[in-house]
Parts: sequence; C-alpha cells; structure tokens
Amino acid sequence: MSASQSAVRSRAEAVKVSRTFDYLILWTVFMVLIGGYHIHYMLTGGDWDFWTDWKDRRLWVTVAPIVSITFPAAVQACLWARYRLPFGATICVLGLLLGEWINRYLNFWGWTYFPVNFCFPSNLMPGAILLDVILMLSNSFTLTAVLGGMAWGLVFYPGNWPIIAPFHIPIEYNGMMFTLADLQGYHYVRTGTPEYIRMVEKGTLRTFGKDVAPVSAFFSAFVSILIYFLWHFFGNWFSQTRFVQST
Amino acid sequence: MAATTESVKADAAEAPLLNKRNLFAGLGLYLVFYVWVRWYEGVYGWSAGLDSFAPEFEIYWMNFLYIEIVLEILVASVLWGVIWKTRDRNVMSITPREELRRHFTHWIWLSCYGWALYWGGSYFTEQDGTWHQTIVRDTDFTPSHIIEFYLSYPIYIITGVAAFLYAKTRLPYYQQGLHLMYMVAVIGPFMILPNVGLNEWGHTFWFMEELFVAPLHYGFVFFGWSALAVLGIVNSEVDAIGKLLKKDLV
Amino acid sequence: MKTIKDKVAKLSFVALLMTLSAAMLYTPTASAHGEKSQAAFMRMRTIHWFDLNWSKPKVAVNETMEISGKFHVFAGWPETVDKPEVTFLNIGIPGPVFIRAGSWIGDQLVPRSVSLELGETYSFRVLLKARRPGEWHVHTMMNVEGGGPIIGPGKFVTITGTMGSFRNELTTLTGENLDLETWGLSNVYFWHGLWYLIGVAWVVYWIRRPVFVPRALAVNAGKLDGLVTDTDKKVAIIFFVGTIGIVLLGMGQANSKYPVTTPLQAGLMRGMVPLEMPEAFVDVKVEEASYRVPGRAMQMTLTVTNNGDVAVRLGEFNTASVRFLDPEVYQDDSGYPADLLADAGLSVSDNSPLQPGETRTIEVTASDAAWEVYRLSDLIYDPDSRFAGLLFFFDENGGRQMVMVDAPLIPVFI
Repeated sequence: MSASQSAVRSRAEAVKVSRTFDYLILWTVFMVLIGGYHIHYMLTGGDWDFWTDWKDRRLWVTVAPIVSITFPAAVQACLWARYRLPFGATICVLGLLLGEWINRYLNFWGWTYFPVNFCFPSNLMPGAILLDVILMLSNSFTLTAVLGGMAWGLVFYPGNWPIIAPFHIPIEYNGMMFTLADLQGYHYVRTGTPEYIRMVEKGTLRTFGKDVAPVSAFFSAFVSILIYFLWHFFGNWFSQTRFVQST
Repeated sequence: MAATTESVKADAAEAPLLNKRNLFAGLGLYLVFYVWVRWYEGVYGWSAGLDSFAPEFEIYWMNFLYIEIVLEILVASVLWGVIWKTRDRNVMSITPREELRRHFTHWIWLSCYGWALYWGGSYFTEQDGTWHQTIVRDTDFTPSHIIEFYLSYPIYIITGVAAFLYAKTRLPYYQQGLHLMYMVAVIGPFMILPNVGLNEWGHTFWFMEELFVAPLHYGFVFFGWSALAVLGIVNSEVDAIGKLLKKDLV
Repeated sequence: MKTIKDKVAKLSFVALLMTLSAAMLYTPTASAHGEKSQAAFMRMRTIHWFDLNWSKPKVAVNETMEISGKFHVFAGWPETVDKPEVTFLNIGIPGPVFIRAGSWIGDQLVPRSVSLELGETYSFRVLLKARRPGEWHVHTMMNVEGGGPIIGPGKFVTITGTMGSFRNELTTLTGENLDLETWGLSNVYFWHGLWYLIGVAWVVYWIRRPVFVPRALAVNAGKLDGLVTDTDKKVAIIFFVGTIGIVLLGMGQANSKYPVTTPLQAGLMRGMVPLEMPEAFVDVKVEEASYRVPGRAMQMTLTVTNNGDVAVRLGEFNTASVRFLDPEVYQDDSGYPADLLADAGLSVSDNSPLQPGETRTIEVTASDAAWEVYRLSDLIYDPDSRFAGLLFFFDENGGRQMVMVDAPLIPVFI
C-alpha cells in the first residue's frame, strides 16, 4: 500500500464515501442492536413486556427499567466518547421497540392471534431521550449515570400509564372483580402461561399503603443508576479495537 | 501473479467502490427467504406442527430440519472455503483505492450479518415465545425451534464468520492479528447455538411452561451481549477508513 | 427496461404481501396437542379426568360451548411432580382460538390459581366462546406449579364463521361498554407512534450531518467545538422539556379520563370444595399387574370384595384418559373421543355379578392399540414403573362405584 496514493479522487468523493459508510454503519449497528438488545430484554423482562396482565405497579415497574438500561448505557459509552453522538440510548430503544412491534404484530397477532391490545410492548422512549440529552448537556458519564439513570427509572411508569390505564379499569365478571388486563389474560388462552407463573404484586403487610408504583419506580431508579455504571464499563470494553495474536 | 493481484485488475476496470447491487441482492435474499419461512410457519405450523407425534409432523417439520441442517453445512463449507481459498496473498500491497473498495465489500458482509442477526435474535427468538402459548412443549424440535435455533441462528453464524473471514483475508487492517471484538461479535452469538443444549436439557425436566425470564434462559442473554462487540468493529473500521480518507476529508 | 424492472419489483412486493396475507388468513385443521410426549406414569398418577362432556362438536364464532366433567387428584401423586398446591385449571387449545369465558371448580369461578387436595375429586366446567374458525383439538388441562401441564382428553371441535365478526363485549364497573378485542388499541398505537416519532426525530436530527468518520477524526484531533453546537443544545433542551411535558400531560390526561383504576388482581385461591363422593363399598386389591409388550395388553390380577348390599360388575378401567370398557356391563354414549375409548377393550375372567359379601379373584385384561398410540406402553421404560387408574363397578340399579388402583407394573417382553 502506498501512502502517497489517495483512496479517493476528490474531496467530493471522500465526502460521499464517508456518507455512504455512515448509512452502512448505521444500518448494521441498528440491526445488530435490535438482535442483541431484544434477546437480552425479552429474556430478562420479556414476560412483563409481552402481556398486559403482567404490567403491574410493582414488579414490572421495578424490573423493566433495570434490565433495559443496559444496552443504552453501553452504546452511549461508545458513541459519545468516540464520536460525540448523543443518541446511543435512543437508537437502542428505537431498535428494541421496532423489533418488538414487528414481532407482536406479525407473530403474536399474525401467527397466534393474540390481540395487539393484549401484547403490546412497554414504552421506553421517554427515558431514552432524557438519558441522551442529559449526557449531551452534561458531557459527563457520572452525571448521566446518576441523573439519567434516576430519570430512566422514574419516568418509566408515568411514560406508560397513559397506555395501560384503560386496561386497569375494574369490571365485575361472573361475581369476581377483575381489571380488564386480568380479564384479557383469562380470556385469551395461553397454554404455556398458567396464571401462577405471573409475577405481579400480590400484596404484602407493608406500610406504604397504595403508593406501590412510586416506591417501586424509586427503587428501580436506584438500581438503574448502578446498572448504568456497570454497563458503561461493558460498553467501553466492547468498544476496544485491540488485536490479539494468534498462537 | 504477485505483481498482478486481482485488486489491481479490479482497480484498472474501475469497479464501483460500493457494489450496490450486491448489497441489495444480499439483503433481499434474506428478506425473501425469511418471508417464505414465515409463510411456511403460518401454514404448516398450524396444520402439521401442533403434535410432534403426528405423521405429518415428520413430513413437514422433521424433514425441514434434516434438509436445513444439511444445507447449512453445505453452504458454510462452500462459502467459507471459497472465501479462504480465494484469499489475497498479497493483501499488504493493494492500492488504497482497492482497500477502500474492499472496506465497502466488507460492509456489505457486515450489513448482511446485522440483518441476519436481527432475524435470528429478535424476530424468530421472540416469535418462539408466542408459539409456546399455542402448544404444549412436547418436543425439542417444535416448529418455532426448528426455525429459530436450527435455521436463523446458523444463518447468522454463517454470515458472521464469512464477514470475519473476508476481513481477515482481504483487508490489510486485519493483518495485525485477531481482532478481539470481531471474534466476540461472531463467536458470542455463535455460542447461542450450543447454548440450546442447556435450554433443552433444562426444559426436559425442570419445567414445561413458558417463562421467558427464567434463569434457564440466561445463557442466551449472556451471549446476546456479545452483539455489542459490533461497536469495537465500527471503531476499528472508522479508524481504518479514516486513515484512507483523512487527507481528502479534513 | 426500467419499466419492466419496476413492474417486477412491484409484482414481487404484491406477491410478498399476498403470501403473508395467505398465511394469516389460512384456516387450518389442527392436529392434537402433544399430550403423548408426557411420561405415561405421570399421566396415570396425577389427575384423572372422567365423566367428560363436550357440549357441542360445532360452534359458530361468538357462540359458546362447554367442557364439563370431574377430575380426581390421585393420592399416590408422583414424587417428581410438585404437589398440586398451586394449580391452574387451563384449557388445551392452540392459543386463543376460543376465549375462556368462564371456568369453575365446583361452583367457584377459578380465573386464578387454586390449591387442590390429594385424594379428592372435583367437578369442573370450562365455558368457551368461539373466536377463530378451524377444526381444533380441545383438551382439558391442569397446570401444576413445579410440574407443568397435565393434559386430559381432547376432542375436535369445529368453529365456523369469520374471526372478523368476533366480539368480546363487556360493561365495566365504571359503566363503560366496550369490546375487549380492540379496547384501547388506537390509544396504544397513538402513544407508541408518538414516542417512536420523537425518538426518530432525535436520531435524524443528528444523522443529517456526517456521522462517523469525520466526527471520529475531529474527536481524535481534539476539535470538539463544532461537534455539538449551541443550536444542538437548544434543540436538546426542547426535547428534554418536551419529553417531561408530554409525560406529565399524558399522565394527567389518563388520570382524568380514567379516574377509577385498580391494581391487577392476583393471589392463590384456597378452599376448593371437592365433590362428596359416596364411600366406595367395593374393595380392590391388586395382586399382580403386568404389561405384555407383544400383545399391547395390560393384565391385572385383582381380589375384589363387595362390602355393599347390591351386586356389582366391573365395567370400566380408566387410566391416563384411555377408557377400557366391558360392553356387556357398560357402554359409553357420551361421545367420548373414539381414539381414547376401547369400547370392548376390557375383558374380565369372571364378570358375573359379585354378590354382597362376596370376594373373588379375577383376571382383568385391558387391551387396545391405544396403549401404543398414546404411548402408555412406554410406562415400562419410565423411571418409576407403577401404574394407576380408576376402576368403575356398576350395579343393577344404575349405581356406580369408583375405586382407585395403584400398583407396580411388571413388563413381559417375550
């Protein structure tokens, strides 16, 4: 390879080449992230995400943010540090939601006929935007972990409430009270998910009264901060360009 | 031969830097194939895939499994073999323009890898969750598994290894050794396939119900993380391409 | 040439869409449910289903049918399956081809998990409302936590009509009339669509400019100034404030639109009331039991004592939902699935009426292809070679005695 030779004929071509690589890289990163993030999320928080009758005010609120802040933290670590690109979290969530929606529509509904209003995914977008903006404005991973991680956990439930509230209306059915979400779970038969598998709030002798969702969100926010730190370092590790020598 | 590498010849002919036809043909191939697979699932999943002891299950699903495994071994052997066999033995002496062209070709492979990983990791893996709601887990080779584990995973593995081999055999940048993150990005998702062994072993006697978040599935999660190693590949590629473009771009 | 290419592209796209639609609109005939995969000794020694009735063989979309019957929770429950302390009365159908409009154990609605007692017999019924046309195998099914689904007999039921006409209309406690099939769906699409667009807008804002190589070169060179401009910061603040604003607005709006909401309802239901079964006055002792592999027949030597005041005859042996009948004593006209019914599969060495106070040792043979078809003969390869089942004795007054048997089984290979 001769250093004196140029790979491109002109500056205009260099710009065009660089731009073409942008699209190729974005496509690939986006697709790989959908694959990786989706498999991670579906197997760590998937059941809460699949069904409305799992979307409760305690465990869903706790688990979903904690397990979903992982990939955003890692991708932010790379895209911000190396490119000053503040969309690491958003692109992850765009990917995840796209993967989920395609699946819920074409397979949950299109293959096995569960109504879409029973199996729509959780909304993670508000947290992602906040996480990205906080990183961009603060230019600090520490602040992003603390403030962004906190925001990620806290905003999850209010960000989803307008979507799930209609399914929490009570109904009397054959002499028992259900929410509409419970009734969906009962009506739309799942041979592989008997009711006892459901991990939802069943009540305790706690003293917090009915403020379960805020307490859960707060706890989730706390753990999200810790997970953000951890996954920031994962992101750094995965960003390395090191070669190892074959023996 | 040493003096006239294929790269020089290609350069003289001034092939386009990015062969868009190959890019779209590659991506289109996966799309068309997987749409057909989804159609097959839609029809024969319902008519022949609910009971693994039925004779029609053997016809439409077990035969599908046998055929796909044979074809995968065949495609992997031929594809990887050809890429290796036609390797550039003078890779360090190619022109910068040829190197750039090869980076583009490399990104065609990576684009296909990303695409294949999407279908395997996202589409067919979550799809499996809903199929388990329609049947009782009565075999390791349930229709969704025959597609997910034994078709979509091998396809992204074949594509990923092909991309890795292409880089290793044709790009000067990758002659420095073995790119750690490239190996993680290819071998990690590959490990999801052997991890099926753990999954099926566990399901044989722990539980037959469909709890996606069960710890039994965490092997898939762990190996799924390795998809993030694409970041390392991107960083390396951007470095390499940056070096080729720097004096013209800045 | 270009026109031809365009046409090919268009036609290919149309073909793709047609293929997908064809797959989605396909009305199939479903095969059975895979119950044969379960180890025979588990099917024989967990839940015994009997007196089953499928109310209709054919229903139109929106019509209902019912499966009713009884199940006995076997006292000799196998060690390998957790005890049925947390169970769920499910239904074995291929997903929501019916909706489960109701399910009862005794008179208790059981939408949640329940506790069952070993050795007890319960009545049950499951009300199904047809949703998706096709011919479906409808099984009884009981899920046991720590065990899995225990599948009972299945029978084909045909659903006619179109899924598009299915309605799931309900009235809530807040007075709202709705169709649960589509309730809240446009709201789901609206919010997800809105947030997705916001996310796309944020990313597109950044990728309008050169993304990777030039930015990496600038970062490496320490020239960070131009990478995030003041305008970018203003835009970011708009996104930040907008996000919080929309979240608060959405939350407030939802709360005012749905002022009454309740948490998801969950929790184990205990105290299921079992059937009061009359005390059996027939006493059965299994002297010996063997399975003859070449003949697909199970033979039992039983010593039977009649402690009652009416003569009885053995009419049925029921194990793992396969029913072996002696047609001279009892004939089934309930429409039980034919493949599970050996209507002349039970032969008894001496099946003359067993008089009150009499004790008799009899050779009972239960033979039918169902041993193979339903893989019950695999029992001899199971790690716990015991069998169990229900024996039904009939008296001349139409009375019936149900007796459990549970004993080791010796295979005969030659």
